[in-house]
This record gives sequence, structure tokens and C-alpha cells, in this order.
Amino acid sequence: MTNYILKRLGQGLLTVFLTVSTVFILIRLAPGDPAVSYAGPLATTEQLAKVREQFGLDKPVLEQYWIFIQQLVTGNLGQSYSFQAPAMQVVFERLPYTLTLATAAILLTAVVAIPLGVWMARRPDTGREFGVNVFTIAGQSMPDFWTGIMLLTVFAVLIPIFPASGFATWGGLVLPTVTIAILQIALISRMVRREMTANFAAPYLTVARSRGVHNSVLTWRYALGNSAIPVFTALGTRFAAMLNGVVVVEVVFAWPGVGSLIVRALETRDYPLIQATVLITALLAVAVQLLIDLAYPLLDPRVRLGKAATA
Amino acid sequence: MDTTFGAATPADRHPKPTERSTMTVLPQGSEISRRRLLQFGAAAGFLLGTGSLAGCAGPTGLPGPSTLTLALNRSLVSLDNKLNQFDAAVTVQRSVRQGLTAIGPETKPVLVLAERFEMTGPTEWTVRLREGIRYSDNSPVKIDDVATALKMYKQVQGSFVAGFFPEFPEVVPMDDRTFKMVTKKPVPILDSLMSMILITPAAQNKPEELQEGVGTGPYVVTKFNRGAGTYSLERNKNYWGPAPHIDNVEVRFLPEESSRVIALRSGEVDVIDSITPDSRQQLAGLPGVQLEEASSLRLNQIFFNFRKPAGHPLADPRVRQALSMAIDGKALVKDVLVDSVTQAEGVTPSSLTGYHKTGEYVYDPDRAKATLAELGVKDLTLKIIWETGEFPSDTSVMEALVEMFGKIGVKAELQQFEPGGNIMAWRQGKQGDWDLLGNGYPSPTGLAITMLQGMYTGTPEKEATRDTYQGYVIPEVTAKIQAASAEADPARRTQLLNEAQQAVWDTWPCAWAFVPKSVLAHRNRVSGISLAPTNSYPLADVRLEA
Repeated sequence: MTNYILKRLGQGLLTVFLTVSTVFILIRLAPGDPAVSYAGPLATTEQLAKVREQFGLDKPVLEQYWIFIQQLVTGNLGQSYSFQAPAMQVVFERLPYTLTLATAAILLTAVVAIPLGVWMARRPDTGREFGVNVFTIAGQSMPDFWTGIMLLTVFAVLIPIFPASGFATWGGLVLPTVTIAILQIALISRMVRREMTANFAAPYLTVARSRGVHNSVLTWRYALGNSAIPVFTALGTRFAAMLNGVVVVEVVFAWPGVGSLIVRALETRDYPLIQATVLITALLAVAVQLLIDLAYPLLDPRVRLGKAATA
Repeated sequence: MDTTFGAATPADRHPKPTERSTMTVLPQGSEISRRRLLQFGAAAGFLLGTGSLAGCAGPTGLPGPSTLTLALNRSLVSLDNKLNQFDAAVTVQRSVRQGLTAIGPETKPVLVLAERFEMTGPTEWTVRLREGIRYSDNSPVKIDDVATALKMYKQVQGSFVAGFFPEFPEVVPMDDRTFKMVTKKPVPILDSLMSMILITPAAQNKPEELQEGVGTGPYVVTKFNRGAGTYSLERNKNYWGPAPHIDNVEVRFLPEESSRVIALRSGEVDVIDSITPDSRQQLAGLPGVQLEEASSLRLNQIFFNFRKPAGHPLADPRVRQALSMAIDGKALVKDVLVDSVTQAEGVTPSSLTGYHKTGEYVYDPDRAKATLAELGVKDLTLKIIWETGEFPSDTSVMEALVEMFGKIGVKAELQQFEPGGNIMAWRQGKQGDWDLLGNGYPSPTGLAITMLQGMYTGTPEKEATRDTYQGYVIPEVTAKIQAASAEADPARRTQLLNEAQQAVWDTWPCAWAFVPKSVLAHRNRVSGISLAPTNSYPLADVRLEA
């Protein structure tokens, strides 16, 4: 187990390192000049040269990369050009908002999607199941920004019960959470339904049913238990993706999270801020994936992490 | 994934009811039931979730009835302007930090921390600080603070402000409150330029954008989150002027315009600014919302590329004039920009001090066609470049131009650049050739001369480093502008300035130009907003109705 964790940690760190290195190269290959973004279009060539020197952008890329590696080791990725503050500090100021939104969205998704998927699986090919299916397909088809704007129009303007933007009160969490969760609920509930339907048709359930096991036990313990790993994996993967920022939703609701931060960092070619954001979100994504893997034995006792299959 | 599943049959995949006591063997060797572990996991997950919700991020604070809430379109990363100054920031910056002067409603300098700011010689100004002015920490404003501020603005790399100063003046104290500002050459607009220098206690000033600190303005910052772009302000108890009417001001950052509009309509914010024509139309006539408009200090232009070799059609001012006749400016103003702009009648906005009307853009496609034919211009194709967001409805304007040029037999192709992209390199002619540029130029000093100096004083030396404005190098024009800049006598300066503007106009630098209006929307409960062409207003004058 310890070896497995260490091995996975090593893999995770390598993934993060390769990710940030790739981003380091790609942003320098992209068109645009951080000095122009910083000093403005009216700056002279001489002023731009001074700014590049100040940021170390006049150095060869390999030397910049070496400096970046040293910064990476110390955890200080330098000063954000646009915020004039340590890049890591700027990301950490935004990260709690993203964590909050992602956690709320994934909790809402799990609480609604799992029972809904079970409900659909227990009523296959009925009119009611068809009706719910239509809603889940609609939920999958509606773009985030449209859903967000519709929710805003209805619940912030026409019936003003929730704040329209930002995070001024706890009510401000509701609309962005629901916007994200609508798509996730649609996807996860359909997945739960699919897994549950397959398990309902499995011989072991027929045997259990013939033994007189109660329907609710068959559903919630047997079928759902055996559907747990793929569903849990999907929830975890989506949570990890949300930690990279839910850009569209953050922009629509002016949510001060990491997603809108990276958009701004890209627009201003703020290299340190882009690198810091990618580093933190990549670390979080790797950590979440590791936690998901470590949770498998809890969901299915036959899973042995890091060991070969035993008969 | 390095997880391995055991036997594969579905029946085996689930424990039988009799196997409820199946144990998970933990690395330590202790045995805990899987159910117990799952329960523990669920509890831990719940705690993590709620912990995150409760602990990671809390609401940024609900404004009370005596709180004014402003929503800005750009993040206010500091309350200093050494590096950045966008229009909407001015209101908030000047409510915390102030200069010796400010640009008043008529775009003329008005006194703020100075009670006297007078040109007492061709290269000398005499300034006297107001008596008894203090910072929010109750320390007095000193002459040394002014001298240090000038040094810091000069030293900072990539300064927004430094470029507007032909030279930084030297501060020579005369007594506790009086000092001279001495320059090597005449700087007759120093009183306007000094409006951009915000004064901070010398000991706290640095050659960088100040994030915190004290100022002399009517408000002080009590809380801020630079990452989120939120600031909480409250009345400065030591403010030297009349006390502001509102106790608290909340500044929020809402980048998406539709979000700002919805927030205003729902009453969540009181004021939004930098409104596009579309939103202006949407908000006009809405109950509970009022619009304020003012002319701006910015000129948006469809500027010709002046780096064309001799013999190229665009190197001929007659061709440039003919091309301008293809543009139906009135239709653009009315139909595309829905009256949110005014067509320029000169080379600077009419709101600027020193503006001179030089002519009008005339729409006459027949004459345009005839002139081009007369000049032997055939099969002309124009490449128009611009950066997204350079001005509102930019893409619609550009598409309309393609159609209008098409009507006189001139093809036009568009190339749009995303913000942060490499339009600068294109503008400098380092990446490729182009013919027309959609661009805007501001004059934060409120003076026509500032705009003329920035755009039309190109020299061969500047062009060698591509530091001219789109290659505009016309020595006679440069000489006229420089003469106007150095003239100390106001009447003579006005005359020279008028001549310079006419000289620029006669070179037909723009196919078309327009002045955007600054538009602001506020809830009805807000009054006392006097929007100036600087797209700002004194926060201390704003009132809230109960």
C-alpha cells in the first residue's frame, strides 16, 4: 500500500512537472508580448526592452526555464505582471472560491444524480422514465452560459431571490452551483441508470431476488454497490476538472475563481500567473485522482491496490 | 490505473448477505469493517465538503443601505496609477489618493491639494499646498511627498504616466507649503500633467504600483481582495474637504457586461460604467435605472498605414481622402453604433481643451470612385486590422467598412487580433503589411496637445525604432506641434495649436474617426453623479436616497 502510494505520488509529480513544463514552452510560443500587455500600446521600443529586462524575458528561453525550475523547487513562481504581487499568492486568493464552487456543485450532483439514476433504472421504458430522460438529455444539451443567463434572468431579475453575481452572500453560491450541476446531473444520472440497469439484469441479482432479498436491499446495496466504482470515478474526475476552473460559469456569474483568473492571465500574457495557476490546479487534479484510486478498496473489497489479481 | 480487480463474475462481484462481515485488510494489519470505513469516508467527505464551504471562501460582504456598490468592468488591482489607468478606475483611485490638480468637468485643470498652481516663468511654476491637509493617518502632506512622487513615477518601468511628461520637473521648496517646479524647457501644460501624479507620504512611496497605503482622499480602504478585485472603502475621518455623503463604498469587479447589466437591474449594484451601445439600448427607459452620458477623451480612428513606400496609392493624401469618402459615417453612428458616438470633426475629440474644428468626414461614394479613377488607382485591396474590443461594436463597424469600400470598387479584407496577441508587432510593420488600423487613442490630461504629441510628432529617429504612430512622420506637422507645445503665451499657443491640427487634418491620416461617449448607468436611489469626460466622477458628491 505504502509503495503504491509512493509510486502514484511519483507519477503524479512527474505529470505535474511535465504539465507545467509544456505550459512554459507553449505560452512562449504563442503570439503576444507580456511587455506590451504590461506597458501598454503607447510604450516605446526602449521602454519595452526595459520591461523585458525587468521580467527576465530578454534572457534565452533555456535560461528562463532553468530559473523557472529553481522557482518551482522553492514554490515561488515570481511576481504576477498584472497584479504586481506574488503569483502564487494571487492564485491562493482565488482558489478558495473555486474549491467552494466545485465542492458545492459536486455535492449537489451526487445528491441528485444518484437517486435520480436509480429511480430511472427501476422504471425502465415507462412514460415517467422517458419524461425524466428528456430532461437529462436537455440538461446535457444546454450550454453552461445559456443555462446561467436563463437562471440569472429568472431568479435574479424577474423573481429576485438570488444574487446575480459574485459572492456577496451565501445565496450567491446557489445559481452558479445549479448551473454547473445541471449538466453534471444529466451525465451522472444517465450513467447511474446504465450501470444499474446492467446490474439488475445480472444473474447474481436474480439469484438474490429468488432468495427473497428485499427490493430496496437489491437496489441500494447490491446493484448500486456494484455500480459504485464507475460512478465514483466519474464524480471524482469531474470534480478534478472543476478545480481547473469552470471558466464560463465563473465569467457569467463574476465568480472570483481560478478559471476567470487564468483567462485574464492569458489575455495579459502574465507568464508567472499562468504558470502558478497551472501548477496549483494540476497538483489538485493529481491529488484528487490519487484519492479516488485510494478509495477503490473501500468501494469494492476485492480491489487490491498495486497488487496482481488473485483468483 | 494500477488497480486490479479480482474474479470477474457478477455474482462474485457482490458479497452475499452472509458475507456482511467481510473485512478489508489495512496495511497496518488492523481489521475494520468495510461498512465502517465507508461510513467514515462519507463523514470525512461531508466534513471536507462543508469545511471547504464554510472555511475556504466566505461571502465578500453584503452592502448595507448606506453603502454604494460600484461594479467595474476591469479588475482594480491597485489604487495607484503608476502602471495602469483605465477609465473606470479613476473614480475609485481619486477617492483614496489625490493629486495637486485634477481634470475638471470642462477638461481644464482644477486645484485639489494645491491652493495655487501658477506659471511664474517660462520654465517655472509656483505651487502652494492647501493649509492643513492631512493624510488618512493624520500625517501632514509635505513638499517632500510631491518630490518623491515625481521621482517614483519617473523610475517605474513601463510607467503609464511618464510617457506624457516631456520632462519631469524639479521640486524646489520655498517655505513649508510653497515650492517651485522647474523644468529645463517650457512645459506650459504642467498643471494638467500633474493631475496624473497621485501624492503619497514619501516614506511609503516606491517605484512600483502601491497596493495599500494612505492618501488624502475622502475615503480609505478598509478591506480588499486584489485577486477578486474587490475593495471596501469607508469615510476618511481626516479628510480635509467636505465630508462625503455616503458612509461606505463597495467596489466589485464584474468583467462580463451582461452580468453587470443584470446586477444593476436586480439592484445588487448601484452603478455600472463603460457601457456598450447594446447595453445602453437595453437599459434606456428601464424603471429604476438612469443613464448618464458624457463625451470622452478618446478618439477612435480608422488610421492609414503611413509606412507605405512612395508611389503606393496610400502614400498619396488625395487617395486617402477619396477612400474616406466611401465611408458613410452618419450611418455607422446611427445604425451600427446606435448614437453612442459622435463623428469626429477634427483630429482630436471636441471635449479636449485646445480642440480645433478642422473639417468633416463627407460621404460621397461617387466622388470617391471618380477621384480614384482620376488618380489611376485600380484594383486596390485594403487590409484592415484591429484588436478585439478596441472600441464597442468593433467587428460590426469593420464589416460595414468592407461593404462600403466594396461600393467604390475597393476590396477590403479583415484581420482581427485577440487581446494579448501580437497586434503591436503588426502595427510596427514587423509581422506583415496592412493598410488600415482600427485603433483608439486617449488623452488623459484632457488636452488636445497631449494627443497631438503622442500621434503626430514622429521623427526619422523614432521611426528607426518603429516608435512613431503607424509611421506618421511629417516634419512640418511635427514642427508645428512642437512649437505649440513650447509656447508659454496662451493666445499664441492656441493659434499654433489650431494651425497644427489643421496641418494634421490636411494629411488625411484617418479614413474615419469618432469620439465614443462615456456612458454610466445607476439605480434611481443614487444621485449626485456628475460624469466627466474622463469617465469618472467625484465619489464624495454622490448621495444615496433612503
